[in-house]
Amino acid sequence: MSENIHQRALQLIAQARVEGMPETDAAWLGAHLDTCDSCAAHARQTDRSLRSLRSVAIPLPDGLARRTQFRVRLRAQELREREPQRRALWFACGVSWIFGGVSAPYVWSLFQLLGARAGLPKFVWEIGFGLWWTIPALFVVAVLLMEKVRQGDEPAWMRQDS
Amino acid sequence: MPGPTLFFSTLMADEAKTIARGLQRRDPDLLDRLIEQYQYRLFRYLVYVTGNQERAEDFFQETWIRVLERGHQYDGKSKFEAWLFAIARHLVIDWQRSKKAQSLDTLTDPEQEHPLQLVNESEPSPLHQVLSNETEKTVHASLQKIPAIYREVLVLRFQEELQIDEMAGVLSIPISTVKSRLYRGLDALRGALPGGAAS
Repeated sequence: MSENIHQRALQLIAQARVEGMPETDAAWLGAHLDTCDSCAAHARQTDRSLRSLRSVAIPLPDGLARRTQFRVRLRAQELREREPQRRALWFACGVSWIFGGVSAPYVWSLFQLLGARAGLPKFVWEIGFGLWWTIPALFVVAVLLMEKVRQGDEPAWMRQDS
Repeated sequence: MPGPTLFFSTLMADEAKTIARGLQRRDPDLLDRLIEQYQYRLFRYLVYVTGNQERAEDFFQETWIRVLERGHQYDGKSKFEAWLFAIARHLVIDWQRSKKAQSLDTLTDPEQEHPLQLVNESEPSPLHQVLSNETEKTVHASLQKIPAIYREVLVLRFQEELQIDEMAGVLSIPISTVKSRLYRGLDALRGALPGGAAS
């Protein structure tokens, strides 16, 4: 028998275990194994190796599940306790945005009036107004950055969109 | 006969969706059940990947904490165990990186110039102590001869019975790489077990 035939048989023996193979190949391999002792022994050895691998039992440490459940429940409690604080923070940011938007025309007038009374150049009170307007936004950016840092170690593989 | 296959795949998809919904809510009872259900498989995988029982215990607990914290990212479209193993594996990689500033793959790839041995083979293996039965010790000693990168795919495919595409997800590598590692791993396994090379 040609060496190539045995090579193909060994390849198919591995393929059948790793990813399966088409029926035609299975039929060819079956016929070959019936006539070739060497390849049949190789197939038996492969199956024995896999059986050995599957038979290895690793004893679980005592109470591992119980200890883990306890830790997970503690962590869940911590997260639950932190949740209202986070919500309050976002609520405050939202209110700040809305209030800033609604009151902007009045505050502009107020800055203009105060600027005129104090005799400040126009650009000074305009900068003051700009800061008043941007500070809440900067605060939100700071909160977002803090959140990102907190979750900074979250790798991309954990997201399921891949 | 598509009937039973369809029935079981629908059942598994439903189960995955139920788990995803429970994890979104951080349902403590669901988490308790999952820890019970997957404890053996996860611990076994971690023991094989880390080669150390104590470390595997630490990673086991850490993995479940991650499941709690990031459970909302599991969408139930894939098997839960594949996601679970991916979390566990990447925790180990992060730990390896913090130690050596390299990934598990490069550290364990036998084709690299200086492969990391997760288990120091010159010392008695902690994993060896985990396995009490004599036959299992023999099998384990043989497994230790196989590079960790191949041992891992063998465990995922033939012990955990993950599909090749699921393994690609867990390992974050292309399907073709999973296959080539499996073929090489199978070769190594056959060669490593007593009498394997002779046959």
